[in-house]
Amino acid sequence: MSNLWFLYLFFAALLVFIGLYCLLTMRNLIKLFIAVEVISKGVSLAIVATGAVKNNILLAQSLAITYIVVEVALVATALALIINIYKKNKSLDVRLLSKLKG
Amino acid sequence: MAIQIILLCGLVIFSALAILLKDLIKAALSLAVASLLLGIIFFRLAAPYAAVFEISVVAGLITVLFILTIALTKKGDEVTEARLVKLAFPVFLILFLIIDGLVMKSLLQKIPALPSGPEAGTFGEVLWKQRTFDLVAQVGVILAGVLAVLALFRKKEEDKDE
Repeated sequence: MSNLWFLYLFFAALLVFIGLYCLLTMRNLIKLFIAVEVISKGVSLAIVATGAVKNNILLAQSLAITYIVVEVALVATALALIINIYKKNKSLDVRLLSKLKG
Repeated sequence: MAIQIILLCGLVIFSALAILLKDLIKAALSLAVASLLLGIIFFRLAAPYAAVFEISVVAGLITVLFILTIALTKKGDEVTEARLVKLAFPVFLILFLIIDGLVMKSLLQKIPALPSGPEAGTFGEVLWKQRTFDLVAQVGVILAGVLAVLALFRKKEEDKDE
């Protein structure tokens, strides 16, 4: 049973790596946000798999649902921010944000 | 077990496609497929409520929000990424696969196991009685999200008036 847990953790770590790679290397704001979503998938997988392997699936499900709700609020706010940034800069290039003036 | 590994591999492949595809619509759709596969994995792990939330909210609602944003920001595809990013990805992925495998193998049987045991009650009892504070926090987060979106778009309307 423990081996199964490490298999899920292996794939969860892989998803987090893919997301982090994109966050560190890419410039498109929407791509960066897709990377955040990929990382969050890895975290959800780790939560539910741990719950399933440790016979605490009900608690893990409730935590996963809380996590998904928080994720939706985050997505809605961040996408609204991205639209505003696009209207201001006419581009989704994250490097332009470094030129913001106070 | 074999089906579960195939689903996990599919999840990783579609997640990688979501970040590697240049077309943003295709990237968003890949992310939706990855969410769908994650929902199926949740269902097979005997977590049907989490699976339903994953498929309906993440694969459904969040994909719609992404596609709406991509449609509103038409020049999004024009952002040029560094050339090395896609070329270096397989190299880093293989490196990480090796490191990840070695770390998980060395940790096997060494991490003190979390206390496990069969839970009493139903999902509803756990959600509404044990995690009550989480639900209050969820309401707060949703309200904060709604207020943030309203504030962001109201500011633009004021700009138009000026």
